Amino acid sequence: MMIFDRIGDFFGIVVSIAADPINLAILFGSVLLGIMFGAMPGLTSTLGVALLTALTYGMDTSLAMVCLLAIYVGGTYGGSYASILINIPGTAAAAATALDGYPLACKGEGGRAIGLTTTASAIGTSISMLFVVSISPIISHFALQFTSFEFFLLAFFGILISGTLTSPDLVIKGWIAGFLGLFLACVGRDLLQFYPRFTFGYTELDSGVEVVPVLIGAFGIPQIIQVLRDRFAIGETQKLQRIIPEIGMVIRNIPAIVRSALIGVGIGAVPGIGEDIAGWVSYGTAKNTARNPDDFGKGELKGVLASETANNACVGGAMIPLLNLGIPGSPPAAMLLGALMLHGVQPGPMITFEHPTFIMEVAAILLLASMAMFVSGMLLAKQVVKVLRIPTQIFMPIIGMLCIIGSYSLGLNIFNLYLMLPVGIICYFLTQMGYPIAPLVIGVILGPMADENLRRALMVSQGSFLPIFQRPVSLILFVIIVWTVVSQFEWFRNAKRAALQKILNRKGSCEATLEENESETP
Amino acid sequence: MMEKDKLRKADIFSGSLIALFGLWVVSQALKMPMKDSWGGVQNVWFVSPALFPLFVGAMITLLGAFLIRTALKAVGRAGLRDVLGWLASRELANYLRSAANLRFYAMLVLLFSYVFMAIPRVDFFACSVLFLMAFISMFYFDDDALLKKLFGCYLALTAGLLLFFIFGLPQTLEATLPYAGDWLTLACIGIYGLFTWRSIRSIPPLRKKYRLSLILAFAAPFSIGPIFKYFLLVPMPTEGLIVAAMDAIWYWDF
Repeated sequence: MMIFDRIGDFFGIVVSIAADPINLAILFGSVLLGIMFGAMPGLTSTLGVALLTALTYGMDTSLAMVCLLAIYVGGTYGGSYASILINIPGTAAAAATALDGYPLACKGEGGRAIGLTTTASAIGTSISMLFVVSISPIISHFALQFTSFEFFLLAFFGILISGTLTSPDLVIKGWIAGFLGLFLACVGRDLLQFYPRFTFGYTELDSGVEVVPVLIGAFGIPQIIQVLRDRFAIGETQKLQRIIPEIGMVIRNIPAIVRSALIGVGIGAVPGIGEDIAGWVSYGTAKNTARNPDDFGKGELKGVLASETANNACVGGAMIPLLNLGIPGSPPAAMLLGALMLHGVQPGPMITFEHPTFIMEVAAILLLASMAMFVSGMLLAKQVVKVLRIPTQIFMPIIGMLCIIGSYSLGLNIFNLYLMLPVGIICYFLTQMGYPIAPLVIGVILGPMADENLRRALMVSQGSFLPIFQRPVSLILFVIIVWTVVSQFEWFRNAKRAALQKILNRKGSCEATLEENESETP
Repeated sequence: MMEKDKLRKADIFSGSLIALFGLWVVSQALKMPMKDSWGGVQNVWFVSPALFPLFVGAMITLLGAFLIRTALKAVGRAGLRDVLGWLASRELANYLRSAANLRFYAMLVLLFSYVFMAIPRVDFFACSVLFLMAFISMFYFDDDALLKKLFGCYLALTAGLLLFFIFGLPQTLEATLPYAGDWLTLACIGIYGLFTWRSIRSIPPLRKKYRLSLILAFAAPFSIGPIFKYFLLVPMPTEGLIVAAMDAIWYWDF
C-alpha cells in the first residue's frame, strides 16, 4: 500500500511541476541550453550547470532545481551531436559514442544515430529516475545509523576513489588533486573553534573559500585556455538527415538497454566518477558481449545505444549519493551540491526529514527533463547542430566573461573573482600535467565534512581510533580504503597474483589427483 | 596533457613543488593551537584546528615524494640530467617564445587585467567591451603575427590604464571629469578598434571577422549584463558611466 502511495505522490509532483507554464518554459529552455552546451566541443555540462547556478540564485529552490537538472540532462545528451557529426566528443561523456556514431554519419545515417541517442538518453535518464525514487529511502535510512567516524571515512573514500578512477595518468596524481582540494577546504575559520586557518589576515577568507566560484574557475578557465592555446578547431560537420526515434531498435535491445542503464546508475553512484567512465564501461561491455564484436567501431548502432543509455543513466545515479549522503556522484553533481547549499538545502540523511518531498521532486524533474530532452532532440536537433558552425574563438571569450560575472554574482563579492582566476590557472597547469580536476573539486566540497566529523568522532571517543574497528560500517569502509590504496602498489599486485596462482595450482593438483584416483579405480 | 615521457620528467618538478607545498602546510599547521588555550577553550590534540591541516599537509608531502620517486624510477638519472640540461639550454627560451605560449600569455594578460584591474575600477559594460573586443579579435583572426601586434597594442593600453589608476588620477579628476576611468576605457576601446582596423583593412577575409568581433564585443555584455542588473537585481561589480546611462533609460519616468 505504501508503495502505491509513493507512486501516487510521485505522479502528483510530476503533474504539479508540469502544470505550471513557467516551470515548463524553464524546463525546455534549460534542456535546450544544455544540449547546446553539450554539443559545442570545449563546453561541458558541468560548466553549463556552473554558469546557470548564478542565474538561479534568485529563484526558489524547486525552480532552480528544474533549471539545473534540465541543463545537466540536456548537456549529457548534447555531447553526442558533435561525436556523431564531427567525430569530436562535445563532452567527455560522449567520447565512446563517437566510435560508432561518426562512421554512421559518414554512411549517411547521422539522423538515425541521433534519433537513437535521443531515445536511448531519454530511456537511460528515466530508468535512473526509478532508482533515485526506489533506492534513496533505503540509503537514507541506512545512513541515519552513521556516526561521525563513518561520515569521515565516507568523505575520505569519496576523494580516494574519485582520484583513483578519474586520473588520466598515475593514480597518485588523482590522490594529490584530492588532497589539494582538502587543503582548499581547510582555508577559513574552522567549524569547531573558529580558529582562522590559512586566511593570512584577509577577512574575506574567514568564511572559507566559496565553493561555486572555485568550481567555475576549476572547470571553466582551464577549458578556455586549453581550447584557445592549442588552436582547437571544429572540423567539417557531416550532413544530418531526417531524425528517426528508432523505437523498433530500442524494443529489440531491451536487455542491453537495461544492462547499460544499470552500469550507468552504478557508476554514477560511485562518488566523483562521471558520465564518461559510464559510457566507456557500457560500450566495452556491449562490445564484449556482442555476437559480432568486430562490427563495433564501424558504425554499430548497439555501440551508440550502450554508451548513450549509460551516460544519461549516470545522471540519476549521481543523484543517489548526492541527495542521501551529501557526496556528489559526478562533477556536475558537485556543482549541483554547491547550488543546493546556496539555496539553503543541505543534502544528507536528514534531507527526508527536513525536506520530505525533495527527493521525489528531483526524480520528477529528471523524468520531465528526459521527456523535454526527447521532444527537443526529435524536433530541434537540426537547428541545434548549427551551433557547431560557431568558431570556438568566438564563444570562448564570451564564456570567460560569463564565468567572471557568474562568480561575482554569487555573493556579490569581487574577492570571489580574485580566487576564481588563480584557481583556474592552477587547475590548467594541473590538467596539463595529468592531474584530474574532479577529485580536487570533490575534496573542496567534502573537506569540511571530513574535518568536522573526524574531530567530532575523536572528541566522542576521547582521541581513540578504536571505534573504527568496532563498528561494522566503519570497519568495512576502512578496509575498502586500505584496499583501494594498497591495490595500487606493484608489490601488492604481485603478492595477490602469486596467492591466486598458488590457490589455482593447489586446486589443479587436487583435481589431477582426483582424476588419477578415478582412473586407477577399476 | 603532455606525452608520457615528458610527463614523467615534468613529474619530478611538479612532485617537488607539491612536496614543498605539503611541508609548508604542515609548518603552518604547527603554528595553530594544539594544546594551548584558544578563545577560553583548553585544547586537546584531537579537537585542535591543526589536526586536519596536519593530516592533509603530511599526505600531500608523502604523495609528492612518492611521485618524485615514481618519476625518477621511470626516467632514471639520465632523464633528470636531460631535464636539467634542457632548463639551462636555449631550447627553454625558444619554448617560452613559441606561438602556443604567446597565445597563453595573451590570455593571461587579458584575464588578469580584466579581473584584477578593470572590473573593480571601471564600469562593467565598458571594461567588458574592451576585454571581449581584444580577446575575440586576437584569437578569431587566427594569425600569430597579428596576435602579437594586437597583444602589444592591448598591453600598452592596459599599462596606460594601470598607471592612471596607480597614480590615483580618477579621484583627482573626479570634480572636473566624473567617471574619468570610464572615459579613458572608452578611449582605449576606440584606439584598439582603430589599431585593429588599420592592421587588417588590407586583408578582405579579416574585415568580415573584424565586424563580427566588434558586434559580439558589444552585443554580449549588453545582452547578459542587463539580465543580471535589471532582472536578477544583481548590482554590477562597478557601476559607472554606462550603468548610469542605462539606469536613466530603464527608470525613465515616461
